[in-house]
Amino acid sequence: MPREASPQTNGASIDIRALEKRFGNVRAVDDVSLTIDAGEFVALLGPSGSGKSTVLMSIAGFERPSAGHIIIDGEDCTRLPPHKRNIGMVFQHYTLFPHLSVADNVAFPLKMRGVPKAERRRQAEAALETVRLAGYGDRMPKQLSGGQQQRVALARAIVYRPRVLLMDEPLSALDKNLREEMQLEIKRLHSELGLTVVFVTHDQGEALTMADRIAILKAGKLQQVSPARELYERPSNLFSAGFIGEMNMLPVDWDGNRARLVEGEEIVLPDEARLAPVKPGRAVLAVRPERMSYTQAGTAGTWAATVRDVVYAGAGTLLITTLADGTEVRLRIPSAGLQPVSPGDRVGLSCPPDALLLYPQGDA
Amino acid sequence: MNPRSLLLNAYVYAVLVFILLPILVILPMSISESNYLTFPPEGFTLSWFQAYFGDERWMEATWFSVRIAVLTAIATAVIGTMATYALVRGAGSMGTLFQALLIGPIVVPHIALAVALYLFFQSTGLSGTTLGYVMAHSLIAMPFTVFTVAAALSSVDPALEDAAMSCGASRFTAFRLITLPMIMPNVVSGGLFAFIISFDEPVIAFFLAGIRDKTLPRMMFDDIEQNLTPVIPAIAVLLTLLSIAVLIGAGLLKRMADRRAAGVQES
Amino acid sequence: MSAPGFFEADGRTMSRGTVLMLMGPFFALVIFVFLYPLGNLLSISVLEPQPTLEHYQRVVENPVYGRVLFRTLQIALLVGVLSLALSLPVAVLMANSRGPKAVFLTACILLPFWSSVLVRTAAWAILLQRNGIINQSLQFVGITDEPMTLLYTQGAVVIAMTHVLMPFMVLPIYGALRNIPADYGRAAAICGAGPLRSFWEVTLPLAMPGILGGFILVFLTALGYFITPALLGSPQEIMIATLISQQMRENLDWPFAAALVGVLTLIVTVITLAFSKVFRFDRMMGGRA
Repeated sequence: MPREASPQTNGASIDIRALEKRFGNVRAVDDVSLTIDAGEFVALLGPSGSGKSTVLMSIAGFERPSAGHIIIDGEDCTRLPPHKRNIGMVFQHYTLFPHLSVADNVAFPLKMRGVPKAERRRQAEAALETVRLAGYGDRMPKQLSGGQQQRVALARAIVYRPRVLLMDEPLSALDKNLREEMQLEIKRLHSELGLTVVFVTHDQGEALTMADRIAILKAGKLQQVSPARELYERPSNLFSAGFIGEMNMLPVDWDGNRARLVEGEEIVLPDEARLAPVKPGRAVLAVRPERMSYTQAGTAGTWAATVRDVVYAGAGTLLITTLADGTEVRLRIPSAGLQPVSPGDRVGLSCPPDALLLYPQGDA
Repeated sequence: MNPRSLLLNAYVYAVLVFILLPILVILPMSISESNYLTFPPEGFTLSWFQAYFGDERWMEATWFSVRIAVLTAIATAVIGTMATYALVRGAGSMGTLFQALLIGPIVVPHIALAVALYLFFQSTGLSGTTLGYVMAHSLIAMPFTVFTVAAALSSVDPALEDAAMSCGASRFTAFRLITLPMIMPNVVSGGLFAFIISFDEPVIAFFLAGIRDKTLPRMMFDDIEQNLTPVIPAIAVLLTLLSIAVLIGAGLLKRMADRRAAGVQES
Repeated sequence: MSAPGFFEADGRTMSRGTVLMLMGPFFALVIFVFLYPLGNLLSISVLEPQPTLEHYQRVVENPVYGRVLFRTLQIALLVGVLSLALSLPVAVLMANSRGPKAVFLTACILLPFWSSVLVRTAAWAILLQRNGIINQSLQFVGITDEPMTLLYTQGAVVIAMTHVLMPFMVLPIYGALRNIPADYGRAAAICGAGPLRSFWEVTLPLAMPGILGGFILVFLTALGYFITPALLGSPQEIMIATLISQQMRENLDWPFAAALVGVLTLIVTVITLAFSKVFRFDRMMGGRA
């Protein structure tokens, strides 16, 4: 599948092969293999305990894999100590050195590499300019706001032009508006500098906005790696389907050709609805709420449902309906031009065939 | 203030008087002209201080004690900080052993230690030597230094060292440039405690001393035992001033350390 | 890949080799000036002049030594109890005070802590003289007509040791009191407990580990204390530390002195282990909760 590389490829490729990390009997990371192209922006997404941070720490060298290899730009770095890996890293709590000024913080990696003082100052100032904090060099970290501190941390991570930038949930400590601003900032930096970014987050919206590709992890295992759109529109398993965005999950009987909703309505599914073979029997039919629409009850080809709740949410309205057997089906409809509808009304639900997805039951 | 509170305050202040009065009473005796230790002091003279500073044996003992105390402070600070760093940053089973051994010199009475060292140092020729004293005093002072440093070290976010390492610093460099400056007030505090513990230490000094190489506490012991002269109150004044100085120093360092910690929390 | 090698770092964790190197000097110090000499001393008590228990038998069988031991325990207990009576209220007031008052109280408690034990003992030696200030005051007030013999008595030892050791109990109790969340007191009050009741039923039990720890600390220190009994005590009624010193330096009976040390160390270690849960030294040193 063709992937868009960033304009200037100053990034390194990262090859994670059969990575495994055991803590006692627990497998925090279970046979994870992932190839990240030079200059790509990959998000590691998953709930807590999914192993995403452990994978990142393994790339950084702070966790020693129980098995597997980390290969950066063709070099096996698995046993290399963190300070020799020439990567940039931004930590969750900024982690600026509190006793050093902003400029000294940013210049620290250069100092480690023996860059002379004057040159260090110059490069640090340039890095601060890149994150739009020019002139803040003489301040102390505690004088800065959260967002500013995070930008200093960014500047410190990129100042020596690493080919890999690792980010461990860097925006989770910021409030919503600041977070969105920083997301754009980071994307801008990425396209400007062209380095490879590996970004850990538990926020799927963040992953969808920022990443070229998203890798979903659950309980240490890789669930799916795809570009955002593909992940959203065609999640490869039930877990990914439920984890990203909202999804209606309808229990159906699948006979190999048709899916039967509980009340007898049969639906013919196009072949594309199945991303993987599904055995006949109980299965799950998944549809995004925004792909659903409703019309008069009884219209041919619709599913009979009763409206339970109508929730106005500004641009869109959430309609919560139930099928005859009580299965909940949610619809997200643009509020403008919405036909009046109230709880208790009977309606007929439908959606385009390409919005249908079928999964084996219990895939989550 | 209710009667209960009044009673408590009164009792406590009475206790404080009990604690402070003996020291406060003998201090003025240092300037008394009388040869006898009377209170209130008669007249005013600095001759007892002159007797102390002018006496070669007192001065020799004092400098000996100072040398030992300074070396003890340094040794304890270095050895203690190294070991504490290993303890706090993940020492596993060795950490448990470390803590058990650390408590040993606190639990075992100093007299047992003193007698044991009396025998041992005789056979190894360390009796009365600076090295012998420094080692013994470092042992006793170590737990206090370790606790002081450990308190500071455990409040430093380990992620800071991670960040430094991700910037290319080896673990030792990360410690030297990032962690150590942050815990320095506590390290110095620990060193100060070790200094005072060593300087005032009487029991081991009693057993290890020969004829010539006596520490100040040892000489004071002899003096108190044999002929209690007003030189003792004079020395007491000086020692009390020293204690106050150390207390204030430690307090200031604590204030400094708290300020540095606050800087971290705000970020 | 299996566990990391001895000198190999485990990601961000130091290698075991590095840990050993960092703790090495400490271990070396402990072995050289603590474990070996002490072991050597104790071995003398059972190996000189040939493998024997005669020295320990002497301690146990000779009533003189038994009396010394008993007396030492008595005095140490008395010092502990007196210290408790004095330090508990001080700690309570310190815990309930804020600002300048708290600082003042703390300074008053810490000052004797850091002044030399010899200075404090000398102070009592001076105060308790026949023509010392205490005797003068007693005569002045009319309690007695003639100067009393206060010095070189057991009483002098008890008072002076209490004076010296009492601050060691204040800090653990204070620490324990400070660690009690304020909400407990409020809950007790809401349940109807007055201040005294609340203190007795809630505060005291919760502070018990600190109180017990402080008491044991003072008791054990008093057991083995040398300086104050040696300078202020009666030559006829000595404590065990003085006995050890005499046997060691005057009688030159090293094996016997070693046996005495063995007995003392045994008692101290047994009591320490028995109360080891109560001994949270890090808390007592004012460390973090």
